[in-house]
Amino acid sequence: MAPSSRTTHVVASLLLAGAVFCGGCGTARRRPPLGPAPELTGQAAMGEAAFMEKCNRCHPGGEAGLGPALNDKPFPDFLKRFQVRHGLGAMPHFEKDQLSDAQLDAILDYLKALHQNPTRASKPGA
Amino acid sequence: MRGVRAARVLAILVITGTATGALGGCYRVRPSSGGGQTSARGTRTIRPADVALPPGYSIEAVATELTFPTGVIFDDRGTPVVVEAGYSYGESFTTPRLLRVETGGKTTPVATGGRNGPWNGGSFADGAFFIAEGGEMEGGRILRITREGAVTPIVENLPSTGDHHTNGAIVGPDGAIYFGQGTATNSGVVGPDNFQFGWLKRKPDFHDTPCQDITLVGRNFPSDNPLKPGEKATTGAYSAFGTSTTAGQVIRGRVPCNGAIMRVRPDGGDVQLVAWGFRNPFGIAFSADGRLFVTDNGYDDRGSRPVWGAGDLLWAVKEGAWHGWPDYSGDHPLTENQFKEVPSILARQPNTPPKPIAAFGVHSSSDGFDFSRADAFGFKGQAFVAQFGDEAPTTGKVLGPVGFKVVRVNASNGVIEDFATNVGKTNGPASALRTGGLERPVAARFDPTGAALYIVDFGVMTMSERGPSPQPGTGVLWRVSRTGGR
Repeated sequence: MAPSSRTTHVVASLLLAGAVFCGGCGTARRRPPLGPAPELTGQAAMGEAAFMEKCNRCHPGGEAGLGPALNDKPFPDFLKRFQVRHGLGAMPHFEKDQLSDAQLDAILDYLKALHQNPTRASKPGA
Repeated sequence: MRGVRAARVLAILVITGTATGALGGCYRVRPSSGGGQTSARGTRTIRPADVALPPGYSIEAVATELTFPTGVIFDDRGTPVVVEAGYSYGESFTTPRLLRVETGGKTTPVATGGRNGPWNGGSFADGAFFIAEGGEMEGGRILRITREGAVTPIVENLPSTGDHHTNGAIVGPDGAIYFGQGTATNSGVVGPDNFQFGWLKRKPDFHDTPCQDITLVGRNFPSDNPLKPGEKATTGAYSAFGTSTTAGQVIRGRVPCNGAIMRVRPDGGDVQLVAWGFRNPFGIAFSADGRLFVTDNGYDDRGSRPVWGAGDLLWAVKEGAWHGWPDYSGDHPLTENQFKEVPSILARQPNTPPKPIAAFGVHSSSDGFDFSRADAFGFKGQAFVAQFGDEAPTTGKVLGPVGFKVVRVNASNGVIEDFATNVGKTNGPASALRTGGLERPVAARFDPTGAALYIVDFGVMTMSERGPSPQPGTGVLWRVSRTGGR
């Protein structure tokens, strides 16, 4: 990599990091409430149930609450895994006997499904 | 190549550090942002279009200008009757009332109470209303009220002069009246937070009473003594403020007690224990198959024994069982790191607490609820839960408003979805969003046909470090109906 490419790489990284930081404490609801819901299947459906049990009370519906919002975070999965396993700031860490790797993977799939379907909400009259 | 690798490592470190800082650091550096932390005063605007619902549903305001409404009851003609509490946190005493809602929204008083609110909901059976009288001044009661307004207590002297009151008064499949009795304290220890509530000065000897004998580890909690400014106090669990406890000390249980679901026959008599180990079992409802469910307000981050990170819970009540308070949140002990490792105060747990059905947002104040039972409304079998909304910063800090909506819960898998919430880019009460939508939903109940969901909206209650400031005359009764196809 040429020096100019390296500089570009670092600058891009810093810009991304800055964007992440700016969004890090956001509380905004990034979707109109109660639009049509996507069908969750397989891993994402399992993730929804695990999210409700382990995450929802601090990040209700993925929005801000006791903790910051998750719906608007573009963090890569490895950062989210790191956060969950090690805990940072006020967030407690979750050991594997509290939240298995399979459950954590499923939760990440569920969060991706929410991002890909930003109008996630109620499925009327089911 | 070494330079490339170094640049990549640097980039990863920068991203990781910044992102984790953003995720982990903002809780401490940011101020609390609860939904009630506004300066909203004055007339409330009502605009149903500001409430978001799933497609095919509509909402309308049925009655307005109510003062601290906490419930709606349908009499045997299907007429809605609103319960006005007569007391609100913030030490605001008004007159408890039952108000019949006539066509057009006019209200007619059916009955009034004294200075012993809050009236916290009720039901109608055998030609009479049954009301849970919260009992802030004289202890909780279950009242039988005729259509003509004659009031007869069928239960009195419930231990209800603390933080949490007598709730519910729901008729069960067996014909008995089921009610909840909240705890005196946040987590078993009387402290300065109870002085801020207002009751410690009135009732300095009041404390929690268990339903069965319990044995303490003898842990005591030092605090300021607000009853004697400048002095300190040390207080043990299940004891009056300033009273220490010892290891192995047994606290005698009795019924009626705190943190319990109890029942009584409609004509009175002995109170029976149904289950205990709750904190504030506010909402009570039976599913179509006759199972008893309860919403329970979780611990606050306040007082001499603060608990962080405990959500409100939906329970399928296990008869006779202890459900975890004051040492568990759901089936998890408070000693876990997710609650900041709060040491136990009971030497022995009466039983392993059951697992709750669902966990709501921390400080959401998930309260009155009902099950959908009609195809005409949809979501049959699901629980519709009114969320009063956070009372930050008094109950603990939040980074964003929690609650202020109605959610529905699939009781088979614990999945919670919004059902009625305010339109906007952020969550919160209408007064904070400057809209005409929901403020503080406190109860949700289907009409006798099951085709319409009534939402009881307590009205504006702002919050500050000094506590709540409720605003009389801002309550609303909403009705949600299904108007379109799926």
